Amino acid sequence: MVLLEEEEKALLDEGSLPKEHGGPARKPLPAVCDPQRLAHRLLVLALMCFLGFGSYFCYDNPAALQTQVQRDMKVNTAEFMALYAWYSWPNVILCFFGGFMIDRVFGIRWGTIIFSCFVCVGQVIFSMGAICNAFWLMEVGRFVFGIGGESLAVAQNTYAVSWFKGKELNLVFGLQLSMARIGSTVNMNIMGWVYWKVQDLLGSTGHTTLGIALLIGGTTCIFSLVCALLLAYLDKRAEKILCKEQGKTGEVIKLTDVKDFSLPLWLIFIICVCYYVAVFPFIGLGKVFFIEKFKFSSQEASAINSIVYVISAPMSPVFGILVDKVGRNITWVICAVVATLTSHIMLAFTFWNPWVAMCLLGVAYSLLACALWPMVAFVVPEHQLGTAYGFMQSIQNLGLAIIAIAAGMILDSRGYLFLEIFFSACVCLALIAVVMLYFVNLFRGGDLNWSAKKREKFQKLAMAEAKRREKIRRQNEDDLAKLQPKNDFSLRNRYLCRLGAQLPANCVCHLSALAHRSVLK
Amino acid sequence: MLAAGSWTALALLWAAGGCVGRSAGYRRRGDPKVSLEYNPGWESSAVNLLHTRAVGLNDTIHYIWSTIGAPTALLVYTGSDSSTLHVNWTQLLSSSPAGAIRVEPADSVLYSTAVVFTRLWEYDGTNTSDLSKVHAEHFYPSYHLANFTWASLEGQLNKTALSAEFRGVSSGREGTFWNGSISFQVTAYEGGSRDGPLPRLLHSANSSKVEFVMQGVAPRGNRSRFALEILALEQGGRRKLLQSVRSIDDEYTPTIFEMAQLISEPHNNSFGSSFLQWKTAAYSSQNPQREDTVHCQYYPLQVVNTTGPEFSILRAYFGEDLERRCSLSAVNISFGSENNEAYEEKGYLSWSALVGFGEPPREGFSLLVIGILAVALGTPAVLLIVGTLVVLTRQEKPCSEYEPIN
Repeated sequence: MVLLEEEEKALLDEGSLPKEHGGPARKPLPAVCDPQRLAHRLLVLALMCFLGFGSYFCYDNPAALQTQVQRDMKVNTAEFMALYAWYSWPNVILCFFGGFMIDRVFGIRWGTIIFSCFVCVGQVIFSMGAICNAFWLMEVGRFVFGIGGESLAVAQNTYAVSWFKGKELNLVFGLQLSMARIGSTVNMNIMGWVYWKVQDLLGSTGHTTLGIALLIGGTTCIFSLVCALLLAYLDKRAEKILCKEQGKTGEVIKLTDVKDFSLPLWLIFIICVCYYVAVFPFIGLGKVFFIEKFKFSSQEASAINSIVYVISAPMSPVFGILVDKVGRNITWVICAVVATLTSHIMLAFTFWNPWVAMCLLGVAYSLLACALWPMVAFVVPEHQLGTAYGFMQSIQNLGLAIIAIAAGMILDSRGYLFLEIFFSACVCLALIAVVMLYFVNLFRGGDLNWSAKKREKFQKLAMAEAKRREKIRRQNEDDLAKLQPKNDFSLRNRYLCRLGAQLPANCVCHLSALAHRSVLK
Repeated sequence: MLAAGSWTALALLWAAGGCVGRSAGYRRRGDPKVSLEYNPGWESSAVNLLHTRAVGLNDTIHYIWSTIGAPTALLVYTGSDSSTLHVNWTQLLSSSPAGAIRVEPADSVLYSTAVVFTRLWEYDGTNTSDLSKVHAEHFYPSYHLANFTWASLEGQLNKTALSAEFRGVSSGREGTFWNGSISFQVTAYEGGSRDGPLPRLLHSANSSKVEFVMQGVAPRGNRSRFALEILALEQGGRRKLLQSVRSIDDEYTPTIFEMAQLISEPHNNSFGSSFLQWKTAAYSSQNPQREDTVHCQYYPLQVVNTTGPEFSILRAYFGEDLERRCSLSAVNISFGSENNEAYEEKGYLSWSALVGFGEPPREGFSLLVIGILAVALGTPAVLLIVGTLVVLTRQEKPCSEYEPIN
């Protein structure tokens, strides 16, 4: 929160010079109400950040209340983990359609409101399931919640692009990301307390207590829904005042592209799935692990379980810059995977202070996110990027759903040591894939592991080439004056994208596809 | 190819692991022959005395399980394979039972010890489940197991599975028990292996399992917790030690990382030692799963100086001046932590421990764990080495066909 306020202050200072673009014909509006003024955009930014807060808060409710859920609903760990699996199932398919539905079916405003409603309704069903002592109803709730959650993240990023394109977009994405982490962290640390208070109030534990605690957690979703409504109103208003267009994701998904995917891309998919299944299900089951193995109190266990999110909030931008400056993505990915493996092995085989291992995991995880996801853009032509990212998220969700249930079953039958070894084996698979990717890239002469310097050199070459072609094209254009002139800016970007050069975020039209929840988490 | 091969090997290993687990029951040469005997030399079944005799190559372990007085397990280790138990029943059931139980020949007896289950505490666990922090007014009157009425063992004895069940109900004075009962299920082993149901204790042929079960007992409060008092005896100047063994391995008892054991103080001149070993978990179901885990807590050993008439078996074997010749210590084990539901929700609790001669069994990693780790860590390493070699051999080729542009 402090971080957010500081950032906003910085923004205010930077933007304190008045902007004099306002139409002279109109009566001047107060700064907060004028869509062109920074103060107003900050209001919108705050709304955007809180838009996702509810869904991030409620996503990890089960992890924060694992012991309570299992005790009150009388379910084993496999059934408990099904709560996470049910969240992932709809997203195996929805990853491909979220962008489409926002662009073509609902529009950004209605899309956001509808997805927010899904999130709210899902959480209410989830809580009702607990109150009525019907676990299947809780699963239904998570399914509905899943339909809304991931698509809401897409909508959130589309809003960000539409309001902040070309200016503070990176910062805005960063802030949204931090907000997501804050949501998860607050949830981990506060839900136990909420449950405890409700228990005090009712005088007993039980499924009713759990349901009411979850319902109280659900108020964050209502809050987010209110944000969605306000945002829709402000966006509509801005459209009228500024005559701007409704934001679009610009995602193009063509499933037939899948057959053209190259070997390096498939390897990247394997890394992605094998890596993330060893992180999220572990966090989902982590609390009890720290209580049982390391004798942590419930509060401490919540704190350490959320440390991965806490670390990745400030580290993600740092690593983002680092990877941008240095290049050599594969080397970074190898480092991150090895660090994660070390951390899992430390947790499995030692009684060393688990804060060390978890901090290492947090750092490794942030590094991986920064190094792995941009690689896709290097190995896929631009027009297939939407499909590639959609596919990647889809199989990631599939992997998460299956492994979540498998992890629960392993824990019930063979305990945490075995579970940790299973996760280590998954990370090892990711390591195998990344080592293979390294050699494949080396033999094929790919640019994945180039240093930033080398990339820059090639980028310059490419620029020169682009300029030369541009010249020829212009000459041709003069000849064919009837042809519609193309914006040279976008043209250059397209060439650079084809070459796999890294562009500033505001120039990349596919960036919003990057911004699904599972990607940025 | 290499990777695929090793993963296949892993699958085979998994299957092999399963087979080893299943074929656990068979006897090896050198494993003792175990026989059960109910009330040896006495026709009546009004009292229970179960004699388990495990004959090894040149030694014998006698276990005497009895509910005469408080439920007691007496362990006698002899250095002869023909030692026998003699019970003088009239003396044993009289008020001065000293000398009623003997193992002959007397000079073959090398070590003896005993464990007595004396009392069941019940207390109000609303504020805390920690027995040592509970105020005196939150304790209900305790159940003295010696005052229970124990059902006859006849019909409860399974000579092939080497198990027996002592079932007792409260005689009524100490509060309502409804139709609930307490039972001690005793199992002897002919070989070293691991139990099937949780907590899957690893046992050797030198040990026996005792499972304490509370079924359908009516608690006297809404948040009642129970605790069991166990008394252990050590002969001569030695004492008992309570140890906690923390292990990273919870493969067989999921999420339980601690083992507690009551062992004999190490002693140079004495032959033999014994142990009582348990995992810090009880279960609230007859077919225990992980989610039925009830945490148990144990408390420091207390020295006991006086003994009442309920220790008839101990007096019968160790003599009248029991307190002088032996050191007695008591340990409490409470069932349930703050996170566990109270007893009344399931109305069932079972807790298992091993009683045995010698050193307590130590757990090790299973073959499967080691196999998975070796394959998982080995494959990327091999891949890295092979890849590096290929790169090195490729680099040795002259790259003359390359010509700089411009």
